[in-house]
Amino acid sequence: MKNINWKRPFKSRLRIALSLAVLSVALAPLALLTAAEGKGEKASKTEKPAEQGSVADASNKKPKVVLRKLSGAELYSMHCNRCHPERYPTERTAAQWKTILLHMRVRANLPASHARTILKYLQDNSGR
Amino acid sequence: MIMKTRSFALGCAAVCCALAVALPIRTVAAIDDQQFKELKDLVTNLGQKIEKQDQRIEQLEKTHTQDAQVHAQDQKAHEQDQQKIQELEQKLGETQRTVSDAQQQTAMAGPVEPLPRMPLEEATVNHNFSILGDAEVQFAKTSGQHGTFLFADFAPIFLYRGGENVLFEAGVDITLQNNADQNGNRTGGASTHFDLSFAQLDYLMNDYVTLVAGAMVLPLGTYEERTAGWLNKIPDDPLPRDLLPGAGVGAQLRGAVPLGQNGKLLNYSVWGVNGPSSADGTAGAGALDLGGNVGLRSDNAVANLHGHPSGGARLGAFMPFKPHYDLELGLSGQSGEWDDAGQHLWSAGVVDASLHLGANFDVKGEYIRSWYGSDDGNIRPEGWWVQSGYKLAGLNLDWPMINNLELVNRYDSIHDGLGTRTRRYTVGYIYYLSNTLLFEGDYEFLYGNDPTKNDQVIFQLSYGF
Repeated sequence: MKNINWKRPFKSRLRIALSLAVLSVALAPLALLTAAEGKGEKASKTEKPAEQGSVADASNKKPKVVLRKLSGAELYSMHCNRCHPERYPTERTAAQWKTILLHMRVRANLPASHARTILKYLQDNSGR
Repeated sequence: MIMKTRSFALGCAAVCCALAVALPIRTVAAIDDQQFKELKDLVTNLGQKIEKQDQRIEQLEKTHTQDAQVHAQDQKAHEQDQQKIQELEQKLGETQRTVSDAQQQTAMAGPVEPLPRMPLEEATVNHNFSILGDAEVQFAKTSGQHGTFLFADFAPIFLYRGGENVLFEAGVDITLQNNADQNGNRTGGASTHFDLSFAQLDYLMNDYVTLVAGAMVLPLGTYEERTAGWLNKIPDDPLPRDLLPGAGVGAQLRGAVPLGQNGKLLNYSVWGVNGPSSADGTAGAGALDLGGNVGLRSDNAVANLHGHPSGGARLGAFMPFKPHYDLELGLSGQSGEWDDAGQHLWSAGVVDASLHLGANFDVKGEYIRSWYGSDDGNIRPEGWWVQSGYKLAGLNLDWPMINNLELVNRYDSIHDGLGTRTRRYTVGYIYYLSNTLLFEGDYEFLYGNDPTKNDQVIFQLSYGF
């Protein structure tokens, strides 16, 4: 075990500075990702063409944007692969997935709608 | 005239004679050898057909005889069935008489409240039992000690789903340890240790609220809820997790609310548990016990070790930006009495964060701060850890085995508030033999004044099921 003289006050300030630095490094991409959020949302949106009308009306109206609901596979990738390697739907039966998803919904604190969509994806592709 | 008549008569006679001679010749020549042969063949064929018909008639007669025998057997079986039916009808009559008698007796005994019926969805055959879990085997070498194989853990998780909204789940950690006496002296042999890591009942009240009760995994940060041998990228836990209780006996409400359609969500947890306690009943700084207050004392008294339970909460936000790019932030805390007299509070706060930048890189960490009063003054333990992992598949190299390798590293630090500080740097790898079979290795560099912690190398085979 390596002993270090902890009594230097400079050490505590250095530690706090390092802690803040690491947190900043971890959180700095948040600003970039927030700015990129608009692009990310556009990737999941489909645009409707602007309605026909007069030239003046068409220039003032913004095209309608329809949000596409995330699929079961997308939600599965988003929530489940965060914590563990992918478990293939064919590994379990439909009934077993129902039990396991109940466990994961509670453990990972998932919204009910997300859990149901993920369950349907797993059951539709289950082993038997 | 007479000559002409005689001449005419002679001519006619000649013609008639000629005809008489010609006709018999044609009549004799109508059936020649060829035709006779054909007639013979015809007669022969007809004879064969008649013979075949005779054989068929004989077979039909035999079949008719057999059918008659079968019919006789069926008739016998039918008679036996009729007899059985009569016997069953007699028994049914007796049973009905018995039921009638019982009803009369019951009616005489008094009115009976009908049993409550379970809702159909709970009473249907919609149950399921599953076992999940993991197991780990290690080889470890600690500085100053001999290298050793170690059965690190067998941690099954039992799930029983009783319907659509009810789940009972429990997890056990099973380990092996050399025997020792009360003074810590070796006594030979080994013991199997069972540790109930959690046992809780989950009831989904609605889409936004779930009731959890029992020995619950506590959501102080996210590490405890998401830890398992095959989930952790490094074999041992971050040092500052020792400052927090991993589980508590109590009840909890939790749930999540989606924000929009792109996967964002807020989740919350609110709980009440018995809370930390004193290991020896005193309020000395070293007596804090984070996991020993489960409601049933060693003298079999059902009681909390202090006057009031502890309360806690966590609020979390998950923000995905695009597939495999997401950020999760959480803030959690718990506070309550800990000493027997109820004079001192123990509190803890955790800030947790997790960031994914693509399918191959992730970084996560927690900052943990606790503080509690004691007879020795206010104690402020704290610690933090940050861990990252990078899957070499992200390099897009067409080398064998490289795509299954992930490099991991972690920095963790703990100060127990009593003067013991430790810092640790860990570098390691994970080789994914499959999606559930992991071969991990790491080297840990230890710095600090804790004599029990030394540099260590660990290799681990971990299987999740």
